[in-house]
Amino acid sequence: MLSNDKVSPPDWITPMAERADLLQGTLDLLILKTLVLGPLHGWAISKRLRQLSDEVLDVGQGSLYPALYRLEDRGWIRAEWGTSPEAGGRRAKFYSLTADGRKQFAAERTQWRLFSTAVERVLKAT
Amino acid sequence: MHPAIRRTLRSIRAIAHRDTLEQELDEELRLHVALEAQELQRVHNLSPDDARRRALVAFGGIERYKEAHRDARGVRWLDELHQDVRYAARALGRSPTFTASAIAVLALGIGACTAVFSVVDAVVISHLPYPHDERLVQIYERNSPTNQWPLSVADFMAIAQWQRTFSDVGLLRQARAPVSTGGEPQRVSVGYATSGFFRALGVTPVVGRGLGAADDAPGAQPVAVVTHRFAVEHLGGDAAAVGRPVDVDGVAYTVVGVLDRRYTNLAGRTGEVWPDARLKPPERRGPFGLVVIARLKDGLTMDDAARDLARVSRREFVVWQASFQDRDATLVPVSLRRVMLGDAPKTIVLFSAAVVLVMLIAVANVAGLMLVRAAGRWREVSLRAVLGATRARIARLLVTESILLALAGAAAGIALGIIGVRVMRVVGPQVARLGEAHVHVRAILFAVGLAVVAGIIIGAYPVLHLARGGAGDGVLGGERSVGGTRSTHALRAAFVVAEFALALPLLAAAALLLNSFVRLQRVNPGFDPAHVFTVSVSLPSGRYADDTAISTYWTRALNNVRTVPGVVAAGVADQLPLSGGNLDANNFDLLDRPVPTGTAQPVTPWTVVTADYFTALGVRLLDGRMFTPSDTGGPNPVVIVSRAWAHKYFPDGTAVGRKMISGGCTTCPPSTVVGVVSDVTYTNLGDVPQGAYEPLTQGWGRTLALVVRTKGDPAAAIPGVSAALRSVEPSVTLADATPMAERFSASIADPRHAASLVAGFALVAALLAAIGIFGTLSYTVSMRRREIGVRLALGARRQAVTGMIVRRGMAHAALGAALGLAAALVATRWLTSKLFEVSPADPLTLGGVIAGLLLVALAASWAPARRAAAIDPAEAIRAELAG
Repeated sequence: MLSNDKVSPPDWITPMAERADLLQGTLDLLILKTLVLGPLHGWAISKRLRQLSDEVLDVGQGSLYPALYRLEDRGWIRAEWGTSPEAGGRRAKFYSLTADGRKQFAAERTQWRLFSTAVERVLKAT
Repeated sequence: MHPAIRRTLRSIRAIAHRDTLEQELDEELRLHVALEAQELQRVHNLSPDDARRRALVAFGGIERYKEAHRDARGVRWLDELHQDVRYAARALGRSPTFTASAIAVLALGIGACTAVFSVVDAVVISHLPYPHDERLVQIYERNSPTNQWPLSVADFMAIAQWQRTFSDVGLLRQARAPVSTGGEPQRVSVGYATSGFFRALGVTPVVGRGLGAADDAPGAQPVAVVTHRFAVEHLGGDAAAVGRPVDVDGVAYTVVGVLDRRYTNLAGRTGEVWPDARLKPPERRGPFGLVVIARLKDGLTMDDAARDLARVSRREFVVWQASFQDRDATLVPVSLRRVMLGDAPKTIVLFSAAVVLVMLIAVANVAGLMLVRAAGRWREVSLRAVLGATRARIARLLVTESILLALAGAAAGIALGIIGVRVMRVVGPQVARLGEAHVHVRAILFAVGLAVVAGIIIGAYPVLHLARGGAGDGVLGGERSVGGTRSTHALRAAFVVAEFALALPLLAAAALLLNSFVRLQRVNPGFDPAHVFTVSVSLPSGRYADDTAISTYWTRALNNVRTVPGVVAAGVADQLPLSGGNLDANNFDLLDRPVPTGTAQPVTPWTVVTADYFTALGVRLLDGRMFTPSDTGGPNPVVIVSRAWAHKYFPDGTAVGRKMISGGCTTCPPSTVVGVVSDVTYTNLGDVPQGAYEPLTQGWGRTLALVVRTKGDPAAAIPGVSAALRSVEPSVTLADATPMAERFSASIADPRHAASLVAGFALVAALLAAIGIFGTLSYTVSMRRREIGVRLALGARRQAVTGMIVRRGMAHAALGAALGLAAALVATRWLTSKLFEVSPADPLTLGGVIAGLLLVALAASWAPARRAAAIDPAEAIRAELAG
């Protein structure tokens, strides 16, 4: 997700598994999905996404936080300060779904399924 | 809640709690990086430092994210400006040496420019303090494009009577006269004026009334207007002054008005007291020397006035044909602005050119420094780019930094400029209206504008480099690979070359002016200024109304003066050498070679003297004889001429015995040349020193100059001589008692000031060029440490390394000097009129300047070269491998 042109990765970064770029608009859906099970802070969201996608989807934080902000702005998620056990009890901002957010998630999931099925069909056609 | 309302509330909250939000955001991001690092450390077994570094990189675009966030808050631009300025200030604060030297260099340039701009503003741009000053003219008489002179009473009356193009015409006769308001009389500047003079200028007193047409009438009560300063110092203030009597040269005037405090002069002529000019009907066309000022009628042009005056001239010529035969002499209008500015524009152009060069060198210098600094900071800038700051943002940061630098330079420069204007007012050349120069709002705006332009130029290259996509490189290669790109090297060299090319013409101008000044100082004034002092002596008009009274006074006074201890000789003259422009001259016609009727007769400085004048001044007799007491005019008047006069009119060396008619007096007996004396410079040193003398036997003026030669220090004899002069007449007014040596040095004050000011600018320029070459070479040496280390390790001799660096510096300096020489050869031609006995392309002067500048370059190259030779090869190579 680093989109700086002309910057080659420094050699001390070990290449990880092939990564996929996210399709436009899918990030919101994925974030909402990670929050369905309960409140998470930013880093936990990105880790959950990596785990759930077997390290294929790696959301650059340059995209994650603006997206969180956007979702909060639209009223789909809500942010609250709490303490994070894995960070040794440091203050962390936890995001959780609002009622609107659940509805939005459901709607977007339906949309996505429609879309991906359609794409899959096209690709299967010979 | 409606989304729009929510967003608005959020925006308000964002602005109100900007710092809190920013902190929260920061905290959130920090936590993210910390957790990521913790994870990396666990999974990949990395050291905490490595883990953190990787986490940061993986995070990507902190800056960009923050900005996206701020964008949403709608306060981005204000935020960023604030941030840019804070960041720039911090960055500058981190390198105090660079910052201080850049500010100092810019302050020098901007300060010099501000000072000169203030002077230009006061002298050239600002209007004269009279309404519609573009319609004011001074009228002269002109008989050739190069010869014009002020008018006579006859001229003034002819104009006043016959002109049709002016709404007002006024006359002014300037004098220094004894003025008394009850106590001891003092010699002050006095301007006898007609009421039309005030009307034409449009000047009315702030208190009381001005001179009216009724005051011009013969037999009117004598009245005068005084300056604010005179009223305060002598008459107890503006209001108290009106109605008080003032005695000017024995005539009692009543003060009727006081001028506004800003009028210390009128039409450029100084005066404390302005009595009404009581004109008597003229008996002949001359004598000349009066200022006539006129105001053009609405809608008429200078050409209209010139035609009108030409018509008046033809009409007047017929009236005075008996005493004035120069048919070519025509009345001409000259714009008062031009009269008052005189030579000022040329002097000002010289200074402006000098400061523009200094400013350009300063900018080139700081731009060079900035390049060095930019190379050192490439890593930092690249890191910001990698962390997601956009290019535009980084560019703005860099420009903000240079503009901030330039503005700091401007602040210091304005302070320097204020001091500079004060200095120029004190030591500057005699330029009209220089005394009115101050650093005004316009000058401050000018300085700030200059700073912004300088800032943009200085910051331009790093930004352009960035735009070409260089920003990312720094992280990878470190500063070595980017700081030393070829284009940067070339540009840095170009800056150094430019500095030398700009400094050379300035140094050349300064050297030529100084050379010319030294020659001027060595000019033989035709007399021996050591052990001589002069004093101006004025007798009160009441008791000294005729020749007999005055000559009796002088016979007794001179006898007393000669008995004062230390006095060797004393003589009297109506004017003194080195008097500048205000000099009595006379026309004459040689009997052997008369000029054709209707053409102008030759003119020469004409001094009336007693016999002892030559002895007192130390003027030598070359041929014939001096004046004797028997030279009493009458039927056989005599004159003595100077060597240059004799050489000009009688090159075969037979001046003695020749006869001439002087002053166009066809009925007078001709005068005979009885002697030739050494040349004395009456106007300014460097002018042609010809002249003629007439014995002082009749027509004694009430104000004469006494010349006293002493055995020892002339200043020590002044009190004794003054007492001797007063012992004959206690109410005599003495003024300007000065040793001749001081007059001598005052007469070359202008060229001295011009030369020293330009020399000052030139020294600054040379210093800046030296700093430029020093900085660049130092940087080169530090960048090429490894290469030099390898060379040394491979057996290169240290002298060779020193030579390599010095050669590099000298190559730039020599190229710059060559370009500068070409420019100087073109530019200094313009100086010709300011130079005395020096050609503007004087090879010795220019050669000396080039040698001097190269020597400076050599000195500036030496230190970095020594440092290069002192590099320890092992250490340099090790450092390189480690880095």
